[in-house]
Formats: sequence, structure tokens, C-alpha cells
Amino acid sequence: MVIKVLEIIAAVIIALVIGILFLGLFRKIMARIQWRYGPPIIQPLLDIFKLFHQKGFSHGIIFDLGIILSLAASIVLILFIPIGGLSSLETSGGLFVILYIMLFKPLGIALSGGEGANPNISIGISRRFILSLGYEVPLLLILISVMTYYKTISIVEIVNAQSNFQWSLFSPLFLSGLTYLMILPAILEIRPFDIASAPQEISSGPAVEYSGRYLALYHIEHAFSLFISIAIFVDLFLGGGANPFYFLLKMLVVFVLGVFIHAVFPRFRTEQAIRYLWRWPVILAVAGLIIILIIKARYG
Amino acid sequence: MYLQILLLIAFVGAFLTYLLGKISSKVRDIFAVFISSTLIVMTAFLYGNFSEKTFYSGFLNLPLILRMDMLSWLFAITIAAIGTFSIIFSLSYIKGKERTDFYYLMMLLVNAGMLGIVLSGDLISFYIFWEIMSWSAFLLISYNRGPALAAGMKYIIMSIIGSVTMLIGILSIYTSYGTLTISEIAPLIASASPGYILFILIFFFITFGIKNAVLPFHTWLPPAHSEAPSPFSAVLSGVLIKMGVYGFLLIMYVLIGLNKFLTLGEGLLSFHYILSILGAITIVIPTFIAMLQNDAKRLLAWHSIGQVGYMILAIAFGTNLSIAGGIFHFFNHAIFKALLFMVVGAVEYRTKGIRDLNSLGGLIKKMPITFIAALVGACGLIGVPLTNGFVSKWLIYKTLILEGAPFLAFAALIGTWGTILSVYKFLHNMFLGQLPEKYKGIKEAPFSMKLPMLILSFAILLFGILPGIPLRIINAIGTSFGLEALNVNIWGIVSETGALNTVNIFFAILIAGIIVWMLLRMGKKSIPVSQKDSYAAGAYIPKERYHYTVEFYNPLNRMIKTYLRDFIDVFYSIIVKVGRKFSGMVRKVYSGDLGYYVIYILLFLAILIIIKMGLVLW
Repeated sequence: MVIKVLEIIAAVIIALVIGILFLGLFRKIMARIQWRYGPPIIQPLLDIFKLFHQKGFSHGIIFDLGIILSLAASIVLILFIPIGGLSSLETSGGLFVILYIMLFKPLGIALSGGEGANPNISIGISRRFILSLGYEVPLLLILISVMTYYKTISIVEIVNAQSNFQWSLFSPLFLSGLTYLMILPAILEIRPFDIASAPQEISSGPAVEYSGRYLALYHIEHAFSLFISIAIFVDLFLGGGANPFYFLLKMLVVFVLGVFIHAVFPRFRTEQAIRYLWRWPVILAVAGLIIILIIKARYG
Repeated sequence: MYLQILLLIAFVGAFLTYLLGKISSKVRDIFAVFISSTLIVMTAFLYGNFSEKTFYSGFLNLPLILRMDMLSWLFAITIAAIGTFSIIFSLSYIKGKERTDFYYLMMLLVNAGMLGIVLSGDLISFYIFWEIMSWSAFLLISYNRGPALAAGMKYIIMSIIGSVTMLIGILSIYTSYGTLTISEIAPLIASASPGYILFILIFFFITFGIKNAVLPFHTWLPPAHSEAPSPFSAVLSGVLIKMGVYGFLLIMYVLIGLNKFLTLGEGLLSFHYILSILGAITIVIPTFIAMLQNDAKRLLAWHSIGQVGYMILAIAFGTNLSIAGGIFHFFNHAIFKALLFMVVGAVEYRTKGIRDLNSLGGLIKKMPITFIAALVGACGLIGVPLTNGFVSKWLIYKTLILEGAPFLAFAALIGTWGTILSVYKFLHNMFLGQLPEKYKGIKEAPFSMKLPMLILSFAILLFGILPGIPLRIINAIGTSFGLEALNVNIWGIVSETGALNTVNIFFAILIAGIIVWMLLRMGKKSIPVSQKDSYAAGAYIPKERYHYTVEFYNPLNRMIKTYLRDFIDVFYSIIVKVGRKFSGMVRKVYSGDLGYYVIYILLFLAILIIIKMGLVLW
């Protein structure tokens, strides 16, 4: 019991630290690509501390509760995802629960933002939901392929099945893995898919009314969701990790790849994003699923 | 005996309510609530009771039988409960409108009819109660007159088609087996040829498909749901259309039996697989059409079709997990959809009949309890963890993936993601955002509306966190169909291929929420500001309304609108047009002028004479 609790706390702290570190690294790499020096890597952490000490504005109870719900859901998600051997709640419903708890995050932000009653928020939320519908279509196909291939709905078993370097990315699932990489920028909401936040158009969209401690929570939530999105990819396709260190190393590689994409692409319009997401990724994901079905039918 | 008394109370109570209404409306209200809650209590006492009794045997020499088992019990208790809550909800909703006595009579009659359906043990009484339900539902749908009359007409025409096909099915069974008692047919039909079973199934499929609004038969539902009085919409969407699900279960698993049903046809061309695919289509298309709707009730109505798709898909798929999931989803959908229609009803009541999503907004400040109910109901509809909708959907997804039906699983999953978009629009456009000036003086819904909404919200959370309570009953139903029992626990499902533990999730979210809340408290205190005090990036903030939500998902709608027209409705309209033209032609012949008729008769006689003479001459 005590060990379980310690594990939970360790997992959350690792996710938080790594997530915030990634945010710092993100800015640093971006700066170097743009021939700047960039802020120190711990800058996001300093920002969060600063924000906690600033006075914010609240628009009502749902405004507060929404952001709380969103962050709480992210924390809970950490407990479902195996982080190199650490996975605390794996027996509580498997991948579907992960998929569904991932809903809480946009839903919480959306409820909170709805109470804010700012047109920029409305546009941002609308775009956020449309984008998530856009990437969910290929993502669900990919997840179904993975679950069908390993014949389980538990993410821990999927990770276990990939031990000894039998990574899904280099198995019959390679097409699905490739597709996942194609939609990863949309899941991470980085360019070319940062339509929901789009600072230059709609003043950061859903975050526009957040200030002070709310903005701090929003940043923490952002760090968590960055961690979660990459961690799920590593678990599903790169074999997870025997220990947290390997796991984080793999995450770093995927993350840096994402930053490079972010650095070189301009932003899509909403329709363009959907059109992209519903064309090649869907075709490839369906092809991947059909390959899996054929293999399953042939070799059981 | 007990079952007869139950039905007798239901029917006699309905008429007594009408008569009492002539004396005093207060007494009538109390009596209506009393009658409907008596039905809940009486049904509850029947738990675990298995009985079959003939109550009348003179009808065409056929015994009329009442029957009770676990399946009927679950449906009966849901009907009684949703019926009572909607009657309580009606108390203030219908007050001051005209023909209230008639309204209560019909509400109680619909309930009685539905109870009769699930309690009937032979197909004749099934048919009789089915008709009682259908016709009283028609009278309630067209209660508001105006567009409601057209909606009711659309409903009753399709319903009659369904009744006719059911009658053909029943007659065919009678001529083949000489009995209509369900428990007697079941062993006889086991030796029937697959072709005959398919024949029966198709006729009953049309009946139940129409009531259930499965995709080619769905067109009556959106107008009927949106034009009916809101408390009745709750009953209509919550339980009445689910009589189709009951019918499917009865025909497929009680009458024909699991093995016979699942082996009908081969592979992809088997009946149950085709029905599953139809269910999957019924999930996806209506859910996306719902996104385009601007009428709150019409949005929910399209979701009713989509959610019924889950039930059909799950029931037709035919594994123990999926059937459990399908029945559980019926139960859950009854709760959360009734709740959501009540929410719209409450808003409609307070805003004097406005349910256009584009002209509402900001009602959370005025109607917080209604908002909570709407939020919980919406979460149930999406199937967010900790609401009951999650558990049933989880069961369905899991079995679809593990049994190797990935594309059906995809349809079921993507339906959920489409639901989020429209449900958020529903919540946001009604309750969040800016309050229009004209609704400044609005008040919270009255107690008689809040009470059923709160009870139903509580039920959603209760069965979401402790799904074992209904799952135990559903498990008993499954085993009575001859399915392998599920390993059910109070907090979910235990199994080797992935367990579900909702209590774990609940505590995890609760604790995480508390931690985050403490974190928020640690920060510097925030200043509450009004909604008008918002950041506009230097733009001018208008004085009246700054925040509009019209065309909420416009970029997406522009892309998919052309594909999401209701082609089937268009098709039916063409049929109606052709039919009207044809009847116009017929009417020209039957002009109503006696002279013409005389000429027709003479002409006919002349033709006969000519034929006769021609034959003789030949």
C-alpha cells in the first residue's frame, strides 16, 4: 500500500518535472533554430511561481472548477500510463479509460472558458473541438489496430508484449505507428496545428481570460498534457521502457522531433487541418488496420 | 394476480385521474403522482419474481397471458420510474395550459401501455398494448397543435406500418404453430427452418426498427421529439422508443433463442452481423447530424437515434458483454436522456418557450441547479467516466475489439467524439456565455422540476460509480438468455482481458481534484469580475451583447454539411409526393357526383354484356 502511494507520487512528480522541463527545452530549441540565445530552461517553472503570486481575475465558479477538473484529469491520467515500469491504476479499465479521461481536459477548459464569455475563447474552443474530432478519427483507428493486434485493451499488457526490443513500430503495426507520428503534432497542438491557441489571431484562444493562479494552473496542465501525449506514443509504439530513464530518453527523442516540426511549419487554417487529418492519416490508418486484420486472420 | 392488479391500477388510475380533473386540478395532480409512484413501488416488490399467468382466455380461443421475469422487471421499473418523474415534472410545466386533464390521462395511459407490453406473455396482448401505447403517444406528440400535428402524423403513419408488419408476423406464427404464448413458441420455433425465422425476424424488425428509429426508419423521430411537450419527450426518448429494444430482445433471444439467432446466415452475411452494421450506421450519421442542429430538443432527438444505435449494435452483436452493455445502455440512456429533455423543458418553461440555442446563453447565473443537471446529463450522454453511460459503452467497445469487429468498434467510438461537440454546444449556448438582456429577470426552475432532475442526476452518478447494482440484474437477464455469466462486482467488472474499476477512478479523480484545488487556494486570491470585463486584445467591447455563439462549429459544418443531409427523409417525401399525386388522380375518378357513379355502373354493365356477347358469338 505504502509503496503504491509512493509510486503514484513519484509518477506524478516525474511527469510534472519532465513536462515543465520540456516546455523550457521547447523554447530553448526554438530560440536556437531562430538564431537566438533563448531563455533558461527553467524559465517556465519561474513563470509558474511568478503567476501564483500575481492577482488574477475570476469569472465565476465554473470558471474555477473547469480548470481544476482539467488539471485533475491530467494528474489522474499519469496514473494510468506506464512510465517505465511505474503504472499505478493499470487494472481500472485500460486504454478506453485513458481515452475518455483525456476528454476531461478539453472539456474542463471549455467549460471554464465558456463562463469567461469572450469571443476569442469561443473561437478557440470551437477550433479545439473540431481539431480533436479531426485527429481522433485516425487516432482511434490506430488504437483499435494496436488493441486488435495484441488482443487486449490494457496498455500495460501492450507494453509488456513489446519487451526485448519487439517494438510495435517495427512490427506489422509500423503503418499505424507512422500514422501516429503524422498526427502527433495535432495531438500536441503544436504548429502546424496550433489553431486553437493561435496567439496572433485570437490571443491564445481558451487561455485569454486566464491570469494569475489560473494561468499558472493552465501552464501546469499544458506541461502534463505534453508529457502524456508523448508518453502514450512511447508506450504504444516504442516499447515503453524497462526503467523510467530509458522511457524518458525515448520521450526526449520524440519530443525534439516534434519541436523541429513546430519550428519549420506555418499554421494551418481549421479546414486545412481537418482536410489533412482526414485524408492521408485516415487512409494509412485504415490500411494499417486492414493489414493487422489480414495477419490476424492468417496467423491467428 | 399481482400483475393483473398492477396493470389494472395503471389503466383505471389513468381514467380516474381524468375524471378527478373535472372536479379539482389539485386533487388530480396529487392523484396522478400517487398512481404513478404506486406503480414504482409495486414493480419494485416484484424483483426476482418469475411468473406466468393467464388472465383471460376467451379471446379468439387464445389465452391472454401476463408474464414476469428479470428482463420485464428491468424494463418495467425503468418505465415506472421515468413515468413518475415526468409526471412530477409536468406538474408545473403543464399548469395553465389547455386540456390538462387529457394530457394527464394520456401520460398515464402511455405508461400503462408500456407496462403492459413488457408484462405481456403472449403476442396478442403484446400487440394490443403496443397499439395502446402507439396511439396515446400520437395524441401526446400532437398535443401542442400547429407543427406538432404534422409531426404526430408522420409518427403515426410510420407506426401503423410497423403495426401492420407485426400483425403479419404474429399471424404467420399463429398459422404455423397454433399458439401465441411466448413460452410455448420458443421450443417449437427451434425446429423451424432458417428461412422462416428470417421471414419472422424481418417483419418484426420493421416494427421494432420504426419504434426504435433505426436508420432507414428514423425520420419520424426528430420532429416528434422536438414538438412534443418536454415531459413527454423525456418519456418518449427515455423509454418509449426503447420498447423497440425490448421487442428485439424478446424476439431474438427469448423467442428465437441465442444459438438459432446467431447462426442465421454465415459470416458477414448473417442477420445479426447486418443488424450490427445497421446499428453502427445509426450511431455515426445521426450523431453528426445532431451537431448541425440549432433547436435544443432536435439536437437531443438526433442523439436519441444515435444512442439507440449503440443498443442495436450491442444487442445484435450477441456476446455476453455486448448484450449486457446494450441492456445497460438502455437503462442509462433512459436516465440521462430523460434528464436532458427535462433540462430543456425547464429552460423552455422559464423563457416562455425558447429552445433556439442561438438566442439563449448565460443561464447558469440564473438556473444553477438546472445547469448541474444539464452537465451531469451531458456527461452521461458523452459517456464520461464516473457517469453510467461510460460503463455501458466500455462494455460495448471492449467486446467489439476483442471479438474482432474493429470497424464496428470504430463507429461506436467515433460516435462518442461526435457527441462531445454537439453536447458542448448544447451546454455552452444555453448556460454559459453572456446572459441576454431580456433574461435578466429569469428565475430558477420550480421545485417540482428540480426534484426529478436532481434525482436523475444522482442516479447517473450513482450507477456510474457503482455500476454493479444494475449490472447484477442485467447479468441475470443475460444468463436467462443462455449466455455465460459476467464476473460482476459492485465497482465494475472483473475479467482476465481487462477489468474495470470505477471506484478507483472516482477516488483518483476526487483526490487529484482536491490537490489541485488546494494548489489553487495557495495562489494569490483572485478578483471576481463581471463577464463584460474581459480582454478583447484592444478591440472595442460593445455595450449589449459581446459574446455570440451562432454557427459554433462553422469551419467543420461548411465541410461536412453537404454530406449530412437526411437523404432518407427526402426519399420518403418524394414517395409521399408521388402518393399524393396518385390519390389526386384517383380522386378525379371518384368525384362524389352521383351522375358519374351511375355512368360508371352503366359502363361496367355494358362491358360485361359486351364480353358475354362476344364470348357467345365466338
